[in-house]
Amino acid sequence: MIRLSDSKRRTRLLLALLLTASLVIITVDFRTEGDGVLDTIGRAAVTVLGPLQEGLRKIFRPVGSFFTGLGRVPSLQHKIELLERQNALLRSNQEQVGDVFRENASLRQLLAMRQRLDLRTLPSQVIGVTPSNFERSVFIDAGTRDGVRKGMPVVGGEGLVGRVIAAGASSAEVLLIVDRSSDVAGRLTPTGETGVVQGSGTDLRLELLNPYAKVAVGDQVVTAGYDQGVYPAGIPIGRVTRIPPGRQSLSKVVSVQPLVDFSSLDYVLVILGEAAKR
Amino acid sequence: MIWRRALLLTLLTLTGLALETSLFGRASLAGTKPQLLLLATIALAISEGPELGATAGFTMGLATDLVLGLPKGVTALVYTALGYLAGMLRMQVLAPTAWLPIVMEAAAALLATLLYGAIAVLLGEAAAGGGALARHAALGALYNALLTPFVYPLVRALGGRFRPQRVYRA
Repeated sequence: MIRLSDSKRRTRLLLALLLTASLVIITVDFRTEGDGVLDTIGRAAVTVLGPLQEGLRKIFRPVGSFFTGLGRVPSLQHKIELLERQNALLRSNQEQVGDVFRENASLRQLLAMRQRLDLRTLPSQVIGVTPSNFERSVFIDAGTRDGVRKGMPVVGGEGLVGRVIAAGASSAEVLLIVDRSSDVAGRLTPTGETGVVQGSGTDLRLELLNPYAKVAVGDQVVTAGYDQGVYPAGIPIGRVTRIPPGRQSLSKVVSVQPLVDFSSLDYVLVILGEAAKR
Repeated sequence: MIWRRALLLTLLTLTGLALETSLFGRASLAGTKPQLLLLATIALAISEGPELGATAGFTMGLATDLVLGLPKGVTALVYTALGYLAGMLRMQVLAPTAWLPIVMEAAAALLATLLYGAIAVLLGEAAAGGGALARHAALGALYNALLTPFVYPLVRALGGRFRPQRVYRA
């Protein structure tokens, strides 16, 4: 017969075991830096989950859009009257064709970007968004089976989206450039001044190497594309929105608004490599 | 029988992860997403006790780390500790009210975000600042509290259905 104290002791032993296992995993992961056996298991799990995500995305997309819309209500209150009048006129048509138009525009932009890049690219659809509040990433419906590998750059119709951080057989995870751990070598198009574009969670900041660099609000930022870099040169990233006043000592930091709207990301291109010779 | 528990945890983990990354990945509350697997962990801890609470916390936390590419083991550590604590606390309450699961789920979500943030900082990971962390913790607690009336009864019913059958020997 198991006494109560035995049961308590067993639970405490189990807790100690699980906490120790967690600490061991943290240590092993910290030492392997993303290339260990745990990451292999993670990639396998992403592969298993891919088809399930795809199915649920199709079922729940309207519900998700509804909740996202709720969050925007306060800022739109003053526009309600105007929109109601317009809505009465447009609703019947818009409900039927709105989604098709948006998809069409998004695909046209993507096609234009593909022609402009002149690189080997793979079109892919966003099938999920990370639920983590500490990371900004999305899941796409292309994986190693389609030639997608870790580190490959990903672009949208408007500009740079991010890079692949994990690839399963039929799906992959893409770290967005607005994530706090994202660094991209950037260049201002009017002057050619270079710097590092870092994510701030929601927007971007460009740290220019030259503290005396000339920069104006509205200047476009593109990828610098160094020889050893992840991203090819010339991909649009964003536009300068704010230049803090006053002199800055070692470098100049300006705020940049990304060109891509990450809240409504649907279709993307994975850059597989150089263009095939014609 | 351990396989009944294993089946329950696998079912809840896969469903929870798929829902988190599809439906709830986009359905944020002022920028904060819910922690469905933590909801399930605490619900199991309340209804089935600290042993399953800790086991579910470890399983679901580790699955979250692996699938979402987060630092491995951190969520597992946080969920294990919270699963155990929730189970132990529930055992101390003799006459629970309907509010108890809601309050415990909210408190667990709040603590999980703060603990995760603290460990991430200790490990030198890029994490949100203090203000953003507090905001995520508060909104995450509210979101999980709102979802509790829908998730808790479901997980409790599943926990009962997949309970190991006792074998009595003469």
